[in-house]
Amino acid sequence: MATMATLRLPTITRRAVSSLQSLRLHQTTPLTTSTSRLIPRIQPLRQQQPHFRPYHSTLHPRLPDHEYTNSQTAILTAALDHIPTHGFSLEALTLGARDAGFLDVSVQLLPRAEFDLILFWLASRRGILRAKVEEGALFTRVAAESGRDVAALSVEEKSKILVLERLRMNVGVKDQWQDALAQMSLLSNIPISLTELHALSNDILSLAGDSSVDGSWYTKRMALSAIYASAEIVMTRDPTPDLTETAAFVNRRFEDRLVLKEKVEGVGQCVSFWGNTAVGLGRSWGLKI
Amino acid sequence: MSTRSAWRALHYSAKRRAFQPPTPYRCFSCTRQVQDPKSEQDRMTHFGFTNVPEHEKESRVGAVFSSVASSYDTMNDLMSLGIHRVWKDHFVRSLNPGTPVANRPTDSKTKGWNILDIAGGTGDIAFRMLDHATNINHDLETRVTISDINADMLAEGRKRSIDTPYYNTPRLDFIEANAQSMPHIPSDSVDLYTVVFGIRNFTDKQAALNEAFRVLKPGGVFACMEFSKVDNPLFDAVYKRWNFSAIPLIGQVVAGDRDSYQYLVESIERFPSQDEFRGMIQKAGFMIPGKGYENLTGGIAAIHKGIKPVVKA
Repeated sequence: MATMATLRLPTITRRAVSSLQSLRLHQTTPLTTSTSRLIPRIQPLRQQQPHFRPYHSTLHPRLPDHEYTNSQTAILTAALDHIPTHGFSLEALTLGARDAGFLDVSVQLLPRAEFDLILFWLASRRGILRAKVEEGALFTRVAAESGRDVAALSVEEKSKILVLERLRMNVGVKDQWQDALAQMSLLSNIPISLTELHALSNDILSLAGDSSVDGSWYTKRMALSAIYASAEIVMTRDPTPDLTETAAFVNRRFEDRLVLKEKVEGVGQCVSFWGNTAVGLGRSWGLKI
Repeated sequence: MSTRSAWRALHYSAKRRAFQPPTPYRCFSCTRQVQDPKSEQDRMTHFGFTNVPEHEKESRVGAVFSSVASSYDTMNDLMSLGIHRVWKDHFVRSLNPGTPVANRPTDSKTKGWNILDIAGGTGDIAFRMLDHATNINHDLETRVTISDINADMLAEGRKRSIDTPYYNTPRLDFIEANAQSMPHIPSDSVDLYTVVFGIRNFTDKQAALNEAFRVLKPGGVFACMEFSKVDNPLFDAVYKRWNFSAIPLIGQVVAGDRDSYQYLVESIERFPSQDEFRGMIQKAGFMIPGKGYENLTGGIAAIHKGIKPVVKA
């Protein structure tokens, strides 16, 4: 049950997990005719692909940031150096392939061509962000700047720091980033782009120490995704070298989020108050409620 | 006298001839009979739905393509309702042959791509490749070698090449060769190896794949477009009906040769599925990009790709 304590998924998933575990408990008992029928249903769950898991646990080893093979990674890593001059383009990939010792034709190794380069950029930056947090230097630095203790930073503040840190990684490719956004918004690319955006907001929140297991799991991630995606667009037009305008934009959006959260909670409280009052009034009049 | 000679003959044969049981040796503990291994000549392979000895398939396929060479283009248009042109254009565009001017290295020893088009007798793919390299990438160095086992198909391609700007230039070359063994092509010399609607007819597909692996440079690409398996059962039913009823009929009416087109549809039916063929490409040593194949028109045809790995020193 150690995994249950570290779950970061909402209750629905937890219920699914506990039912899964009860199935496994059945399996360890001597097989009767009723339980033996369950086995074939459990087997596929165990042989699942390494890149998909039915639930999240900190006890699991972390999934790789991307699913590219060694040769693909070699070409893509070499191509990253050519992005500032050639953009997220086939030229950058071709030059990268040449640098990695491949031929011009070897870019066929990447079936999605330019979009693979964009995805690799996103996934590798996400990995770097995580590495920075795990080294521990990022939060200590920011906390020292504001003269506070690391432990005193709230989830909110931490996630804001992470969003800004992630945006700063894009400074080198700022002029090319609109092209990349355009590529990501193509109809066939939207699902993968959204998956990557979710992966980023999920990473940021879990790195910031968010441990919500209710409906706010969804709303927090959606809100953070919206903030990050809009901040990216602001960043492409930000003339300041250290992204001060973008930072101000992100600050305003986080404040907006708090205001919105208060409003929604206020409306919720109001509705529940009037509902309770109405029920109580009805009961006092003798209605069978 | 006669008895003596008869006795001698009997005696002689008894001395020379070893005992031969009516059935071959069979041990008591097993059911397997000892058989002398079949010689190379007797190994069977499929030719459409019929089985033929391996050494015969080559000549039979040769006969089919010699017979269809002249009407090849008209028939392709009629059979695929013109879609084969879209497929071929897509195939060439996705490979993007030729190095664009922008990132052409200045100090390169060998300029342009060296493309080997196997079973490309009539030059369909070769001319498209050269057109793409010239007009899209402005690369005037990329060259294509068309290789085909069938002299009649090559003659058709030569005839057609007269109308292209590549006629009699070093950019286009024709050779008559068997793709299963091409000793005249040195190892690690080809950038791009293409085989379009051809590998289906090879006697030993794995041998051809191994040979492709040999001639390709490290990092070189094997690209193959071939008829494949339709995944939607409803569409498959319609497609099969078209294949087995309409195509031989069109062949009979237009080309006056029903048998060749009957072979064509049977060979399509016998060709391995997308996943099996991907396994064969992997077995030859290629790396597979992503899923490994791209289905065209619901899986009627599929583009398979493989990349020869670069060995780091």
